Amino acid sequence: MDLGAAPMGAGDYAELLEFDMDMDGFASNWAYCDRVSTYFARMISHNRSDSLLYSNLFSSALNELLETVYRLHAPSGRFACSVARKGASERVTLTVPVDAQTAEFYRSAVKVLNEGDVASRYHSALFTDGPLQPNIGLLELAVDYAARFSIEPTDANAIRLIADLKLEESDT
Amino acid sequence: MIADTLVQTYKVSFDDNNQEFALSGSMRPERGAEMEACIRLLETSIASIRGTFYINVKRLVRLNNVAFHALAGALLKAADERPDVKISIITSSVIGWSTKKFGTLTAKNPRIVVEEYDSEFYPGQSFLEEGGFVPVLRTQTKLTWKHERSLLPRHGLTPGVTMADICCGIGDFAVLVAKEFAPSRIVALDHSKSSLAYARQVASEFDIGGIEYIYGDAAEMLLEDGQFDFVSCRHALQIFNKPEMIVNELVRICKPGGRVYVSNEKISQCLGEPRGPSIQWTYEQLSKLFADFDMDLEFGPKSYQALQKAGLEDIRIESFMVTNRDGDAQAFADMVMAWEEMFAGGMCEKRGDDAAFVEKFRRGFEDHIAAALHPGGYAGWPVWVASGRKPL
Repeated sequence: MDLGAAPMGAGDYAELLEFDMDMDGFASNWAYCDRVSTYFARMISHNRSDSLLYSNLFSSALNELLETVYRLHAPSGRFACSVARKGASERVTLTVPVDAQTAEFYRSAVKVLNEGDVASRYHSALFTDGPLQPNIGLLELAVDYAARFSIEPTDANAIRLIADLKLEESDT
Repeated sequence: MIADTLVQTYKVSFDDNNQEFALSGSMRPERGAEMEACIRLLETSIASIRGTFYINVKRLVRLNNVAFHALAGALLKAADERPDVKISIITSSVIGWSTKKFGTLTAKNPRIVVEEYDSEFYPGQSFLEEGGFVPVLRTQTKLTWKHERSLLPRHGLTPGVTMADICCGIGDFAVLVAKEFAPSRIVALDHSKSSLAYARQVASEFDIGGIEYIYGDAAEMLLEDGQFDFVSCRHALQIFNKPEMIVNELVRICKPGGRVYVSNEKISQCLGEPRGPSIQWTYEQLSKLFADFDMDLEFGPKSYQALQKAGLEDIRIESFMVTNRDGDAQAFADMVMAWEEMFAGGMCEKRGDDAAFVEKFRRGFEDHIAAALHPGGYAGWPVWVASGRKPL
């Protein structure tokens, strides 16, 4: 795993932290989702107005994103996760190796998230019988964390999933 | 910041005396089947109770959707099967996500209710946290700092340490420590959101960075074990009805070899001349007044034993007297004036004291003020500080 930080990211966002590793390595251990989200949350929260609360929220949000990627990806390729900041917003960018099927999952999931009526979809998914829908984490972020999603192709074998979070306003 | 021991694990327990099922730690399983033992305990617990079934998730720091889905399914099933039972889920806003998440269950079944615990942290102290008390808190810290800045190194505060100031109030002590001792990290925690807002504003206005002001309950902190070299808790044990719970938490977050530092008063020992007897009577009454609200303003000399019982070693205790002769008699008088308003006003009224008592009670404060401002007068307010080392 490579881990680094850079002073500035793309656009107006300042990059805070990034890691990348082989997808098959990441997908070899479920606990990586928890460990990476916890580590990232600790590292980026210290200068938020309530570092502990922010860390709890960010860890929860990022963990759901990572769990989604853990379950839905192409078997090989490079997985990258970066966090950048602009004021009160955090931008999480996940570069996920995909095949045709998983690429379609992410494209449709983001389309649904931007269509509206997400809250009822989320609550319905939360209490469904049987296994959870694979997009449950994305729905949760859109509803409970007011995340805004976008998706960009990088090349034929990967997509870039972007989630913009404004967690300090989620202090309820 | 969150305990490493919680990262991969969670604890589940059932207290049948309180009909309370408690979850704490981190629940992020890959599959719902991993929750089987937890769900089984939940089901047997609900089956054994009557009335209200409490689910305490105040210290459940993390919960993924897999775990929530399993818990929610079991709770909704139980609510359907036991219409005679009310399920009350106790959350904490310190966690951030839990009230909203568990609140979704109420929409599915109204007999599952969610109560956020924080507003009930310390309701008896509300009159100590109103905005009007901020100036007196600032004056108190200014007066005690003249003494504490020189004695803190004897209690383990040195430049570069990692420090937590628990029950930080308006955060002015943390600011003074940051300037004087330059710790490598300061976390300042309090349960009053208005005090923390004030603290952040002051830090921002004075361009003081690096202090993490966080909201939380001192008796049940989410800070991880053993991460601070120096843990302070000033003028706070004396206003909690279970100070030992807080001391245990202070010790828990202190590193082995680090020191826990507390300061407290023995308010009945406030003194002044002239008019000593009137002053003494009022402060003895003040001690009783606080006792009627479950607060022990006589705690100062008890600090030694409190630290000893918590398992600390190399305990050091000393006292100092803040006086009108420290260089700012007016500040001392202002502080007593604010005490008079706060205690002879709000607290006496709340206790239901009669006018004759309040008049006599006020006279002692006024005599204390007069002593502070008298050209030949002497007025004092004693404070005890104690610290102990956490064993390696």
